[in-house]
Amino acid sequence: MTDRGNLPRGRAAFWLVVSLALAACDGDQSALDPAGEDASVLALLFWVMVAGAVVLFLMMNGLFFYFTRVKVRSQSRAVARWLIVGGGIVLPVTVLGALLTWGLTILPDHRQAGDGLRIRVTGEQWWWRVEYWPEGSDTPIVSANELRFPAGRRTELILSSAHVIHSFWIPALGGKMDMFPGRETRLSLRPTEPGRYRGQCAEFCGTSHAWMAIEAQVMPPEAFAAWLGTEARSANLPATAAAQAGMALFNREGCGACHAIRGTPHVGRVGPDLTHVGGRATLAAGRLPMSIEALQAWIVQPDRLKPGALMPAYPHLTRAETLQLATYLRGLE
Amino acid sequence: MTQEPHPHSDKHEFRAEALSLWRITFAPATWALHFVLCYALVSLSCIHGTPPVAITRSALILATLAALAVIALLGWRSYRHWAPGRTGRLTHPYGTPEHRHHFLGHAAFLLAIISAIGVVFVALPLLVIGGCQ
Repeated sequence: MTDRGNLPRGRAAFWLVVSLALAACDGDQSALDPAGEDASVLALLFWVMVAGAVVLFLMMNGLFFYFTRVKVRSQSRAVARWLIVGGGIVLPVTVLGALLTWGLTILPDHRQAGDGLRIRVTGEQWWWRVEYWPEGSDTPIVSANELRFPAGRRTELILSSAHVIHSFWIPALGGKMDMFPGRETRLSLRPTEPGRYRGQCAEFCGTSHAWMAIEAQVMPPEAFAAWLGTEARSANLPATAAAQAGMALFNREGCGACHAIRGTPHVGRVGPDLTHVGGRATLAAGRLPMSIEALQAWIVQPDRLKPGALMPAYPHLTRAETLQLATYLRGLE
Repeated sequence: MTQEPHPHSDKHEFRAEALSLWRITFAPATWALHFVLCYALVSLSCIHGTPPVAITRSALILATLAALAVIALLGWRSYRHWAPGRTGRLTHPYGTPEHRHHFLGHAAFLLAIISAIGVVFVALPLLVIGGCQ
């Protein structure tokens, strides 16, 4: 009786686990839910390898079952020899050779020439310095912690790092590439589906490595061109009295020593460029969703949200002051 | 005058196999040499541009063919040394001089096979990728 009662429940639990596991394949940070040419190639490689592994698993266990349950007697030396030479030498050499050849044909793709736009990304602790270099430009459009791509175009990424090794990875758009101090690595991506995706530093780089994410937005080419035009402009002037007070606080507290806001006297390059910080979807490299409350929390004590962050805390500011400062920054869209 | 047992008989016997012992390293050494040559020359070509990568590629494909020829020759010699057809034995479990002799041939033959596979795998990028991409 209990057996009968347990069986459907066991089966239900099994399907629950399977569906939960499959649901995890979706999402904005999944290599199995590709949104670009490069990620699709890698996803195909993955599925072929999974299918091959399943076949090998069934073959191995099938043989095991056959020789221990179906045909239980000692085998001739000839059978044993064929199994060892065929299954142990010829099969793995062929399979590995084929996978290696296929992998090698994919390898040069990550350095394909782009369609004009180059983006230089530098790993910092723990954020991303971003420079857009449209074709033919000799000065970059500086941004931080967010990447935007024109859909259907191939964009070249030039990757480097300031202090330690990081690794650049937006799983839905393509493969992983390490970022080294004093050295440039390249990655070429052709995202195809407009949408928001999440990237993550994939090489341990210190205390807040896990909080080093990057928002990637793929946009239709016209929308991208319009956005880049806006991004190239100087910062908005503060529109309200609160924002004006916030701008004065930004001056008084010396924020410009580390942060640049184009169109103001602030030209610091230690921290992220804040010219259009309010237009980004996240704050502090994916740590918080962009909002006035998040900006306030960050300014008061960055270290609490991102252990080891180099930005000093401003606990002496009153709530009213952080609100003004956050209002100013949020308005920099 | 009693005849003393020859104190060096083992050594003498061992010396006869010393060359075989060296020989089993030749195929893997060829593989290692080919590996270093490929990695060093391609790095130089791709970083400094000299020698040009097209020339490096052709030279290394020739070097690959040469390495495979050397390994094939070594493999063939070790196969005859192993002599499974003549002795009718594939394995040599006893520590007798004869078994030791055939075992070294057998080991050298298997090492030649894996060295040949290694050389082919190392050379695949030359054929598939071709340049410095």
